[in-house]
Amino acid sequence: MTDLPPFLVALPLVASVVVLFAGLARSKTGWPIAALAGVAQLGLAGYLAYRVFTAGPISYVVGGFEAFYGIELVIDGLSASVVVLIAAVSLGILAYARTAGPRGNPFYATYLLLVGGLTGVAVTGDVFNMYVFIEISGLTAYALVASGDSGRSAVAALKYLIVGTVGASLYLLGVGYAYIGTGTLNMADLSAMLAEVGYQSTLVQTAFALFAIGLFIKTAVFPLHTWQPEAYAGSPDSVSGFVSALVSTTFAYALIRISLTVFTPDFFAAVDLAQTLLIVGAVVSIVAGSLLAVSQTEIKRMLAYSSVSQFGLVLAGLAVLNQTAMVGATVHLLGHAVMKGGLFLAAGLIATATGAREIHEYEGLSERMPYAAGAFAVLAFAMVGVPPTIGFVGKWYIAFGAVEAQLWPLAAIILASTLLTLAYFARLVERMYFREPAAADDHPEGEATGAQPDAMVADGGRPSLGMYAAVLVAAVLAVVLAPAVVPFEQLLDPTLDILLP
Amino acid sequence: MIDALAAGPVDLLATRSYYAGTALLLGIGAYVMIASPNLVKKVIGMNIFQTGIFLFFIASAYVEGAKSPIVGPKATGPFVSPLPHVLILTAIVVGVSLTAVALGLIVRVYNEYGTLEADVLQEVRSDD
Amino acid sequence: MTEITPSLRPLAAVLVSAIAIVPILLSGRRPNLRESWTVLAALSTFGIIASMVPGVLSGTVYASRLGTFLPGVEFTLMADPLGLLFALLASLLWIVTSFYSMGYMRGLDEHAQTRYFAAFAASVASAVGVAFAANLFVLFVFYELLTVATYPLVTHDETDEARAAGRKYLTYTFGGGVAVFAGAVLVFWMVGDVSFAAGGIDGLAAAANADPMIARLAFALLAGGFGVKAALMPLHSWLPDAMVAPTPVSGLLHAVAVVKSGVFGIARLVLDIYGPGLVGELGMGTILAAVAAFTLVVASVIALRQDNLKRRLAFSTVSQLSYIVLGLAVGAVAVGSPGNASAYALVGGLLHIPAHAFMKLTLFFCAGALHVETHTDDISNMAGIGRRMPVTMGAFAVAAAGMAGIPLVAGFVSKYFLLIGSVSAGGTIYAVALLVSGVLNIAYFWPVVYTAFFESPTERDPKPLVEGPLGGRFGNAAATLRSDGGDSSSEVRSDGGDPEDGSEAEQDDHGFAADHEGQGIQDTMETVGQLDEDHGEDDRLDWQHRRWTGEESTWLMLGPICFAAAGSVVLGIVPDLAVFLRIVRLIVAGATGVSV
Repeated sequence: MTDLPPFLVALPLVASVVVLFAGLARSKTGWPIAALAGVAQLGLAGYLAYRVFTAGPISYVVGGFEAFYGIELVIDGLSASVVVLIAAVSLGILAYARTAGPRGNPFYATYLLLVGGLTGVAVTGDVFNMYVFIEISGLTAYALVASGDSGRSAVAALKYLIVGTVGASLYLLGVGYAYIGTGTLNMADLSAMLAEVGYQSTLVQTAFALFAIGLFIKTAVFPLHTWQPEAYAGSPDSVSGFVSALVSTTFAYALIRISLTVFTPDFFAAVDLAQTLLIVGAVVSIVAGSLLAVSQTEIKRMLAYSSVSQFGLVLAGLAVLNQTAMVGATVHLLGHAVMKGGLFLAAGLIATATGAREIHEYEGLSERMPYAAGAFAVLAFAMVGVPPTIGFVGKWYIAFGAVEAQLWPLAAIILASTLLTLAYFARLVERMYFREPAAADDHPEGEATGAQPDAMVADGGRPSLGMYAAVLVAAVLAVVLAPAVVPFEQLLDPTLDILLP
Repeated sequence: MIDALAAGPVDLLATRSYYAGTALLLGIGAYVMIASPNLVKKVIGMNIFQTGIFLFFIASAYVEGAKSPIVGPKATGPFVSPLPHVLILTAIVVGVSLTAVALGLIVRVYNEYGTLEADVLQEVRSDD
Repeated sequence: MTEITPSLRPLAAVLVSAIAIVPILLSGRRPNLRESWTVLAALSTFGIIASMVPGVLSGTVYASRLGTFLPGVEFTLMADPLGLLFALLASLLWIVTSFYSMGYMRGLDEHAQTRYFAAFAASVASAVGVAFAANLFVLFVFYELLTVATYPLVTHDETDEARAAGRKYLTYTFGGGVAVFAGAVLVFWMVGDVSFAAGGIDGLAAAANADPMIARLAFALLAGGFGVKAALMPLHSWLPDAMVAPTPVSGLLHAVAVVKSGVFGIARLVLDIYGPGLVGELGMGTILAAVAAFTLVVASVIALRQDNLKRRLAFSTVSQLSYIVLGLAVGAVAVGSPGNASAYALVGGLLHIPAHAFMKLTLFFCAGALHVETHTDDISNMAGIGRRMPVTMGAFAVAAAGMAGIPLVAGFVSKYFLLIGSVSAGGTIYAVALLVSGVLNIAYFWPVVYTAFFESPTERDPKPLVEGPLGGRFGNAAATLRSDGGDSSSEVRSDGGDPEDGSEAEQDDHGFAADHEGQGIQDTMETVGQLDEDHGEDDRLDWQHRRWTGEESTWLMLGPICFAAAGSVVLGIVPDLAVFLRIVRLIVAGATGVSV
């Protein structure tokens, strides 16, 4: 059909190498090349998504082998959405990172490598190939987290690396079990062969458990989230925006892909325990993530725990196993990326301008930085699920799906999650808008950050236009995307008909 | 494997010793990662954990009395399955790069804080 | 029957005030320009809405379709009679309140006025959106936006107390929002449709017969969710606390727009989603009526003990809102009763929406004018204040009379219908509750009027009900009489504390936090500072005497007060001339098929 799919992965990878070598010749070449690659990637992703949505799924076998032996790339509606998301968000964050840093060609090379890895996870149709891409994404994510100057980011990255590797290894073990049972690694073949082996087989069930737990770790589902808050909080602002918006998102996509394409809803119908595993993971994540978020004092840690809770919601959408909830899970997956990415960038923007990184330092922020505070507030309310934002629409689909499936306790938790989310965002909004900035001597360290709007603190640099633009665009998107959901659902329908017959 | 379970524990150990080895390696690896306070040892534990998985794959490919899958004019079967070997080659490469990154990070941590012990590190950082 | 006409007017009505936010924010440094934007938006919103009145009265329904919002749910704004009733009321009173706000905010030289006016415009836009929502989801969208838009107004003072009130407000109303959302999902799941239809959604009755428990659950969730903003007990406690907001906010939003959006939601629920008949059949009408009857009596009793005027008004609001809910509930229970009981009760309940709005707005405006001019908030310090502010207190007396249901003022008409409805439906107990509450209304409003006009600062009667301990005194306990107005020694609460806890026993029912501006001792001192021996005819301490010609305050405040008071009288004397009763009759005819 088309030879373009491999370029989705190859383009960022090649660009990454180009950036690295260009850096040897001249420094400061990283950003333009990366931006160029990002634009090209977005165009390519957009074009392929257009093809997928108009003409149906695209499949491409790398190197001309037969699909059974060779590695197949499959782009359906779901993966096309994720690919476009990855391309768009990574480009947006590139705009932000230009002045926010970290700078230097190695950073941009790693950045592009991560984009390539994530895209690979999204388009591959082979479980082992997915493992390789998961590890590529993982490795580069660890490196990016460590790209901050502080020792803190190195420690965070190391923790992330060890826990993340365990997750990926469990996934690999799952691949092994599935391979022993069926002798194939291709997703489409696997799903047929697993059904032949029988869903009651211990081998198949163990394989699912390993896949699920491995990806739970990668997605940061409570209680396997331990790497995540430190990794988000310890990394540079642009990186935490990028990682929070895309990495967990892509791994959640992988979980959806494995659950629905490889194991299929029939598996869940046959094995109640599998669905229970997902539901319990979802509920525990939603509740515990929110409660932990409430108890944080550092903004980025709070946002990180919020992600734990929101991915619980996505997981809930998957666990319901009907089309409505799946639309919700997809919408929330994409919406969360925009909202949470935007929130992290806004937090970074505010920290760059005022040095405020703790919740109490946000007092009276609305007067010092009206636009940043406004964007933050809009994104926060979108996250809470105030209509008519994207956060509301996703939640509505998931909740309605849960009601359709008559999973009442899950539906109740999903609805209650609104209030839980409100609990940690409302106090921030209140501080930003309805409190006077604290006097300088209120700070235990005696920092005069609160009182001086233009103080340049550790991160250095005035917020640039690109930083503002990225944050404001995210805020606008959080609202504007909501009406686009219905057409999007129609585009997604054929894919879902295949995934969830 | 299911037949083996029925055959009793002794047989299981004798015929499936590789799988027992896998479980052992996974267990040791996980234990070292969790229990050792030393960062380098944690990374070693991680490596042991991964090695367990490698063993699992290779063992699964083994066919009683089979040759290496090198196909030539005179080669006759049966061969062991080549695919897991290929996969594990890839996985080993991944594992090596992970170890490299991990060690790099550990060097940075040591330069910053002057310790490799996780508990000391915690104390040092809480003083920051 | 009704015909649906595509029209952009409902959309325009929402958008005008929403768009006005932008110029209001941009002209923040030029107050006059900023306020003219507000007035312009208010006038044009009202104009647009009023232009739809003749059409709606002749049976047209205007609808703006904006496409599909969620699968099976269209984003449509629709001006039907019920929506028009609420929108007309909110937009008309917004004009008045805009002028009053200028007088009030400038009179007190308040901070953050730009934010105040912008949030006000946003609130009105949301309220109009609530009114014109064509289905439950659009209603929910605007209902939530209204919460967000009013939050900055509640927290306007930026004191610990205001923030605590704001937190409480958000928690209560978002909790209610979640319940509404859950109920909406259930209804959608049952019938696959959430569009309002006079007399109930088609197919809901069948679905309710199939599974009455789900139908009851959905009703309970929706009624509970809307009940939060309608301040049904026990979900009312945010409302008295929200009185910490500037008085125009308390007036328009916490007596008209916000709380009525809750009541309006219940009206939609009873009339246009379930239909009165089905609500009665499910047995939910009786429960709702019981809750409403309980609320209106108990809130009146609590109001008796409030010394702070705004808090007393707040509890009065809680009580009066339940009249409306009671009318709707009795209307549902009484379907099929002889003598058009259902229709009478519904007319009474719905007519009380505008009636209460005019009267309560007058009362709040008066309280605000007192606050601006004399910094007096406690009733115990208002002895003789009628001489200082004669027009204000005169208007107050008129509106208070209406609240109690005295003929010739608006409250009488609606209560009359309500009484007829509940008596002929055989709901004697509701009629008794209505009458008891009417008596209590007099009991808590008359002392204010009495103290203002017939007492003086040096000569006044004891107020045992307010000042004495709850439950009365025994023996020689005169020593336990508290000082006027409040106990200033009550501890300053830490930020984030619940204003309701703390040493309740050592306080009077003042209710506001210790740092609340101008209460208790502070209020008394403010008052004493304005009293002088030279003011009266004799040499006793007295308020300044001002004439009835408006020298007591600015006309920016007196005008709105007079307008609102006049409105209540017009509604009471010639209810048929005022357009509201005609709209109400139309609504009831549409929902029950009976014209009264």
